[in-house]
Amino acid sequence: MRQLTEQETKTLFEKLANYTGRSLNNLITTSDDPNDRYVFRLHGNRVYYMKLSLANLSTAIPRANLLSLGTCIGKFTKSGQFRLHITALDVIAPHARYKVWIKQNGEMPFLYGGNVVKAHVNRWSDDCPEHAGVVVFNSNDTPLGFGVTARSSAEARKLEPTAITVFRQGDIGEYLREEDTLFTT
Amino acid sequence: MAAKPGSTKPSGKDSNKSKPLSSASKVSKKAAKRPPPKEVKSKARTEASQLKKKKKREYTEEELDLPKLNAITPVGVVKPKGKKKGKVFVDDQEGMATILAMVNAEKEGQIESKLQKARQLEEIREAKRKEAEARQAQKKNKLEETKAAIRQKRKRKGDSNEDTKTDTTATQPNGSSSKSKGKRKSVSFA
Repeated sequence: MRQLTEQETKTLFEKLANYTGRSLNNLITTSDDPNDRYVFRLHGNRVYYMKLSLANLSTAIPRANLLSLGTCIGKFTKSGQFRLHITALDVIAPHARYKVWIKQNGEMPFLYGGNVVKAHVNRWSDDCPEHAGVVVFNSNDTPLGFGVTARSSAEARKLEPTAITVFRQGDIGEYLREEDTLFTT
Repeated sequence: MAAKPGSTKPSGKDSNKSKPLSSASKVSKKAAKRPPPKEVKSKARTEASQLKKKKKREYTEEELDLPKLNAITPVGVVKPKGKKKGKVFVDDQEGMATILAMVNAEKEGQIESKLQKARQLEEIREAKRKEAEARQAQKKNKLEETKAAIRQKRKRKGDSNEDTKTDTTATQPNGSSSKSKGKRKSVSFA
């Protein structure tokens, strides 16, 4: 387990900033204790988000024996890109820049890994551009996953009901579907 | 290292010492008419002295002022000396905050430009739509006009036709009947 390099930090923040607004700053600044801030740590190719005290404790565990620690944000691919995991949803959802609320009849198709069609959209954030990261909520404001908009919100109004409006990137159904691989390193 | 300069200096002195001797002998030899030995001597001298001189002065790369492209290491690759090897980690909050601020600013710029572009495209689309609508309306108008014109024409023609028809109907039966009758009469002569 080690700290991120400058390049890695930049890649990670760029990906997170796709989905979150300026309040992303709170991720690294907020903490109850001034001596105990939140940090990112790389273990294998996965990035974890945790308190510094926890990261310091982890030094007692041999690298081979350490499986996971804190919240897994995602992983670095071999080409150096960063891929967000669904486990990061709890971190990004409170700071989401654009949101999409879907109707109850659209929840199950989304949780089974489908994209969001226009007929299932309940509400949109205003002025959402094309290909922007959005966090998908159900009508009770529970975050269900995240995705990328297929059309801007203005264009989406003119679409037919079966047209795709949000491409799925991650949904909480993955906790079941990817159960075998989600937490293995 | 210390032995070298010591060893070179006496040899130089030797050559200096031998020079006047040889020159002195040269004079006497010239008188004896022997030019070829001169050349032999100079060759030997140059060989020894040149080798020693090379050892004395060693140029560093900077002193030589070589063009950079001739160097062994490529121009782009500069290995900093005395610097730590390996990755540079960002672990302090300030460093992360600056990177985050940079990334945020960049992202916001991108989104802004995207929105602006979308707005412009929307405007263009709207303008095109309006133009197309106007064209369609014009076309429809033209069609209506022509329809109306045709209708009017037909009406006028119809009126005139009716007059003529009445005339013809009025006249025709007589003429046709007379003609047909006459024909029939003529045909049915049997």
